[in-house]
Amino acid sequence: MTEVSVNMDAERAKAHKVRMIRALLPIAGLIFVFVLFNILTGGRMISHMHLAMSQVYVTMIAAMGVFFIMTMGGLDFSQGSILGLSAIVVCYLSHYSIPLAIVGGMAVGAAVGAVNGYFYVRRKIKSFIVTICTMFLFRGLIKFLTTEAPVAGSPYLVLMDSTEFKVMCTLIVVGLGYIAFVHTKFGICLKSIGAGEKAAMFSGIRTDRMKFLVYVLSGAITGFAAFISAIKVGSVTSSGGNQLETQILIALVLGGMPISGGAMARFGNCVVGSLLYVILSSGLTMMGFSTQLMQLIQGVIFLLFVFIFADRKAIQVIK
Amino acid sequence: MSDIRLEVKNISKNFGITRALKNVSFTINKGEVHALIGENGSGKSTLTNMLTGIYPMETGTFVLDGQEIHPKNQVDANNLGISIIVQELGTLSGLTVAENIFLGHEDRFIKCGIRNTQKMNAEANRLLEKYGFNNIKANKMVDEYNFEDRKLIEIVKATYFHPKIVVIDETTTALSQEGREELYKHMKRIRDEGNTIIFISHDLPEILSKSDTITVLRDGDYITTVKSADVKEEDLKKLMVGREVTGDYYRADYGEEISKEVVLSVRNVTVPGIIHDVSFDLHKGEILGFGGLSESGMHEVGKAIFGASYDREGSVVLANGTPINDITTAINNSIAYTSKDRDNESIVINESIRDNIALPSLDKLRRSPGLPFISWSKIKAFALKYALEMSVKMQGTEQFVSELSGGNKQKVVLARWIGKDSDIIVLDSPTRGIDIGVKQDIYQLMNKMRKEGKSIIMISEELMELIGMCDRIIIMKDGTVSGETMRSPDLNEHSLIEMMV
Repeated sequence: MTEVSVNMDAERAKAHKVRMIRALLPIAGLIFVFVLFNILTGGRMISHMHLAMSQVYVTMIAAMGVFFIMTMGGLDFSQGSILGLSAIVVCYLSHYSIPLAIVGGMAVGAAVGAVNGYFYVRRKIKSFIVTICTMFLFRGLIKFLTTEAPVAGSPYLVLMDSTEFKVMCTLIVVGLGYIAFVHTKFGICLKSIGAGEKAAMFSGIRTDRMKFLVYVLSGAITGFAAFISAIKVGSVTSSGGNQLETQILIALVLGGMPISGGAMARFGNCVVGSLLYVILSSGLTMMGFSTQLMQLIQGVIFLLFVFIFADRKAIQVIK
Repeated sequence: MSDIRLEVKNISKNFGITRALKNVSFTINKGEVHALIGENGSGKSTLTNMLTGIYPMETGTFVLDGQEIHPKNQVDANNLGISIIVQELGTLSGLTVAENIFLGHEDRFIKCGIRNTQKMNAEANRLLEKYGFNNIKANKMVDEYNFEDRKLIEIVKATYFHPKIVVIDETTTALSQEGREELYKHMKRIRDEGNTIIFISHDLPEILSKSDTITVLRDGDYITTVKSADVKEEDLKKLMVGREVTGDYYRADYGEEISKEVVLSVRNVTVPGIIHDVSFDLHKGEILGFGGLSESGMHEVGKAIFGASYDREGSVVLANGTPINDITTAINNSIAYTSKDRDNESIVINESIRDNIALPSLDKLRRSPGLPFISWSKIKAFALKYALEMSVKMQGTEQFVSELSGGNKQKVVLARWIGKDSDIIVLDSPTRGIDIGVKQDIYQLMNKMRKEGKSIIMISEELMELIGMCDRIIIMKDGTVSGETMRSPDLNEHSLIEMMV
């Protein structure tokens, strides 16, 4: 009997170790990439940290919304278009009032999220199909609105641009997200929907309402990210927010997010992932890689991480 | 030539830290129905799954007719002469009946890389006719047939090539009486042809009447092999559990008055195509049973009460006048429901035991009432308390439910609702595929809850447990109520079956 229990303890320790490796790999990766690029660029990265980090605020805030969506087993490819459209609205409204611009941007984001949510939940169309459609649709709208010239914001907008302000905004948004996800039942409910929607419904979660509202929420969060993006650039061109969705997806997967969502999702995934992604891409840029080569490298890393973090026990087709 | 068909020699198998089989050896003869019994997690299915190539082998050997065999997959096992009929659905959706029957053996219909579909359908139809399943057509999609018919298709699939060994793994629990009779007929035929059946079931009377030899496993250990003629049900229980099964199995009381107090009234409930105009009252402290054939609509009654039916008409109203139209309202008003489809509806498989138990009760596990913040220490303590109360066999509440055996999963489901302290409990097939030890626990638990004044609706295809446990039994037929009887020691299966068919 003792022999058996010793054996069991050893096995349990092993299972624990595997889980630890999974949890620590993104953090280890973050440190490794950071150190590596600092050595390769001869310390240029650390001395230009605010430059390297300038991308991270928008990515991290928007990634948090998508993190919620992916936890409940959905996907969202329309983030880039949401960001672009919201940024246009922010720029328009900034001429009247900055707070109005923030609210307006978030409202537009929420509205696009509601369109996604309506077709996904009510019309039962798979989320990646719906969001690919809205991605094209709203990208078209952005191009139409910026045909004549880029939409310029009020000069006050760019004056607000400071690292302290952006760090503070990001901390507040991510902090609120963390509390909601870890310390209220929001997180457990999302994970349950991702792990088994029908069973979650039979446990008393209003799954349809939840799914809809998470799309709206994610849209609103990206709408806020659009404000951060607008104060950085001051105007929006037809390519505003282009490819944000792929950046977010890569960031989340680098952060250890299981692509099918569910109970293995951790809040840290979106924070660590965004940092890792941004350091990786700005590091590669500082090294002088061409855009094409960077895409290739990112693609290889993306595939590798999906391979490591795919939750094969819960394998199912992504909706 | 010897009579020995299969020798199981020193078979062991581990799943992670779980030792599913420990050095098991015994022999199985030709021309017999050899039953394999044991509680949940005793290793019955593990053994047969290795024999049929579903799980890889670890240590030990199988010797079939003097030849050592190592089945790599199910098709390989088929070629060696071993087939299996599984507990759940074993047919593939989206394929025709004929494609399912000849799955993995299409070669015989393929010429120059082209499949002769007509020839395959003709052959399948010939087999179906030979088996007497004339209502099933080879060229139709399996999806057009119900669970019962799909099981019949599996019987054809598993036995048409006259395999030396057919494994029947708890198939009967999912079948109605007619389906079972059909299966028994073919079991007898296979045995009379000189081939062997390995029969796994939790239904001991069924085991005793249908098998010749019985092998008992307990916690992965081989216990003994006995002749069915030499033992009684009590002996088997003792061998399986390892101790005398004492105390009451079902309820022992008769003639208790049902309270006049109505806690839930169901009026004219119709779910299009499934149930029609069902009305009844549930009283305080009562166990109300629902029986019938699996297609009778009785399972939908449970869903309808829980607000989970699609397009329901009619009303389900609590004593205080609250109408129940959706699941969340049902749960908030102290209604609990365990589904027949446990893995998809009762429990989130790919999630921890902790989250599963706490999920419906999260609102009362807050740090302080009024604020939305949940307390993880309360959640952990809550889950542990009720998991232990139900004696779930686990490594800890962090363990995922998917790693548990069927009986333990059911315990987690029950733990969740006991923790929620619901007053109206709807149990759909609560003992399906569960061994007697746990079954007895569940019956005792139901009795305890009844005495505490909770009301229970028990939906079951097993008439004996309805007779043994219920104050009142409603029998369903073709989606409507076809009869009702009160608890009585004189009640027997036959009077209920008459109302069912």
